[in-house]
Amino acid sequence: MLAIFVPQAADHIVPEVSVGITLFFTGILVALIVSLALEEKLHAKKSLIVGLYAVVTLLLGAILLPLPYSPYLIGGHELSMPVYIPAIDWGVITIIFGASLFVDVTSRSGLFTWIAIRLTKASGGDPVRLLWLYGIMTVVFSAVLNNVTAMIIVGSLTAVSLNKLERNDKLLGFLLVEGLLTNVGGLLTLISSVPNIIVGTAANISFMAFFYRASLFVLVATIATILLGAKRFDIVGLRDEDARTEAQSLVVSFDENDGIESQGFFWFASAMLVLFIVAIATTSVMPYVSDLGMGFVAMAFAAVMLIKYKGEVDQFYRGVDWDLLGFFAALFVVINVMEHAQVLALIGQGVERIVDLGPTLGTGAVMVATAAFSSVTDNIPLAAMLAKIIADMPLADGMVRPPSDPLWWAVIFGANLGGNITPIGSASTLVAVTIIHKHGLRLSFGGFVRKALPFALMQIAIAALYLLWAL
Amino acid sequence: MTSPDHGHHGTAAGKVDQFESVFRAATKTRFEYSAVQVESVLVVSDRDERAAAAFGERVRSQFGVLKRGENIRWRVVHGGEYHSVPALLDIVETERPGLICTYRHLHSDSWQWPYTLGEYIDVLSQVTTTPIIVLPHPDVQPEGAVRGTKVVMAMTDHLVGDHMLVNWAARFTDEDGRLVLSNVEDDAVLKRFIEAVGKIPSIDTDNARVTIQDRLERDARDFMESCSEEIIRAELPISVESVVTHGHHLTEYSRLVEEHEADLLVMHTKDEDQLAMHGLAYPLAIEVRSVPLLLL
Repeated sequence: MLAIFVPQAADHIVPEVSVGITLFFTGILVALIVSLALEEKLHAKKSLIVGLYAVVTLLLGAILLPLPYSPYLIGGHELSMPVYIPAIDWGVITIIFGASLFVDVTSRSGLFTWIAIRLTKASGGDPVRLLWLYGIMTVVFSAVLNNVTAMIIVGSLTAVSLNKLERNDKLLGFLLVEGLLTNVGGLLTLISSVPNIIVGTAANISFMAFFYRASLFVLVATIATILLGAKRFDIVGLRDEDARTEAQSLVVSFDENDGIESQGFFWFASAMLVLFIVAIATTSVMPYVSDLGMGFVAMAFAAVMLIKYKGEVDQFYRGVDWDLLGFFAALFVVINVMEHAQVLALIGQGVERIVDLGPTLGTGAVMVATAAFSSVTDNIPLAAMLAKIIADMPLADGMVRPPSDPLWWAVIFGANLGGNITPIGSASTLVAVTIIHKHGLRLSFGGFVRKALPFALMQIAIAALYLLWAL
Repeated sequence: MTSPDHGHHGTAAGKVDQFESVFRAATKTRFEYSAVQVESVLVVSDRDERAAAAFGERVRSQFGVLKRGENIRWRVVHGGEYHSVPALLDIVETERPGLICTYRHLHSDSWQWPYTLGEYIDVLSQVTTTPIIVLPHPDVQPEGAVRGTKVVMAMTDHLVGDHMLVNWAARFTDEDGRLVLSNVEDDAVLKRFIEAVGKIPSIDTDNARVTIQDRLERDARDFMESCSEEIIRAELPISVESVVTHGHHLTEYSRLVEEHEADLLVMHTKDEDQLAMHGLAYPLAIEVRSVPLLLL
């Protein structure tokens, strides 16, 4: 997951750093993680929090560390640039920027709301069928779009449709199950979540290989989560014929075409979405495109979609999550400095001890530890750090870890599923709680953990079994 | 891809609201057709028995549509049977009619001054739940053949979900007649809200003006479309026309009545607080004096 123009030599410099300095920077890293965990209390956006840490670590790094300053050797040419530029993984930034722009413009076509309403009508208003269809839709949207957008679309539809069906008493159960499924869906493809992109890129896992390895788990975990959700929240089917008829008459009043302003753009967006998925899936094997990467594909599709709104593209630029992009950029800078301060090597020693517990216990322990950390702090810095650490941990025979190595997958599963333990574990569960509170339902932090923990434990247990015996 | 942005819910809440609006807009209120049954009609006149009977006959002719599929019990009350509002209310209570047909300014000469409907109708329209047809005063009613109800106009400023108004209007539309569903948004109300919006920096005023008006009119049109579909499904021998517009209420309604040459106007008169006749209905009932009104 290294930046495309980070010079090999600079990146693998092993500088002379004293233990004291390493521990000093470790303290800064711990402070950063604590600050991110307390983000809500600080009332500060995470881009600013991490940005300030990036400023401080860069300055301290310049004073205390031998940072690899320019010129950098790129493609046989010497280029000069500030040290924090090659520190950023521009591949990840461009994927997130391009994909979010593409999804934002595509959603204006009414495509996602059209799909959502069609599924609502297909349920006939029956709560159990609705839970299954919304659950599957959550997983697919999370995989294809992103888990926050998926939760926003499915969650808002759930609130409106359950209100229409006069089933508001089931809203909390539906939203919770959907929130928990976003992180399951986030495991389906390489681009479904940021930890996937970071770890998958570091491990050199192709899109298709990722999908092939993760899809069975996603299928099993989705079914198990929906079944458990129906049981725990007492979501049962309509047995009475009159009730079925009434529910049918209520959902039939939804008009899936209401949000479509232009039929032409609707079909164009549908075709582009399919093409986008195909292009992303085949990036690694497409001539020329494979050299440009997934970030190029995402931005190219976003640019084509923006042609429809060529005179008002600025409104979409305003809608880009600059806080998230700023957060990533600053985070990569901090991690880069930490690497030169030997902090990652220090953490790597701890991870190595866990890995040394053996292929079964060690891998399982890495996954559980990753999940535990992800539940209380951001899974992105964790995934970024672990990806670097594992990449620098060669196998016993000295060979590079292959994409199929369970250790990579332990981090991927742990980072994604850990978000289901607490409401702050992932952005999508936080969105679910936001919708729950918006509709006047009470759910405290503890209340969320009590309700979500059985689901999270079940999913982690399935992942552990899958990781150790099926992969 | 996941963007586990813990502080992201401020933006997310806005997007949730945005998508909830999209889905709410997609939830259409569909018209529910239900056949209106009128089993008995009470015709109230302030004239003597003979003149009252003649008025009753005229009412029967005018509303020949009521014969459609029903045996109706008619009762004509002449002026000698009551001399006060309580006395008339007693008659209504005894007869319990499905419909009352009368005219404005009973037992009064003030019909020449078009500023009220007269105390009888003022009270009747609020005390009873029975629909009332108010015909032009007999002294100004043109002689000759009655017009029937070839064009019936349902009038409101909020038609969406008003099944009762449409069902009654459909019931009174003659065979092969036209049912005109009209929804007139009051510019004065919209202007007041837009003035408030214009003082809120976070809302784009021009965009708000266009989108609010568009939304209101679109909802009304969608409902009217479902009215047309359901009436066709119920095989009623009438056609449905839709009018969705905005402007000054009274001016716009008067213009529509004239433009469509309506034979009967149907409107709600019950105020939620039962203090007086519904805000729009009263001035309209006074303004439009030459066309029969069905007050629900």
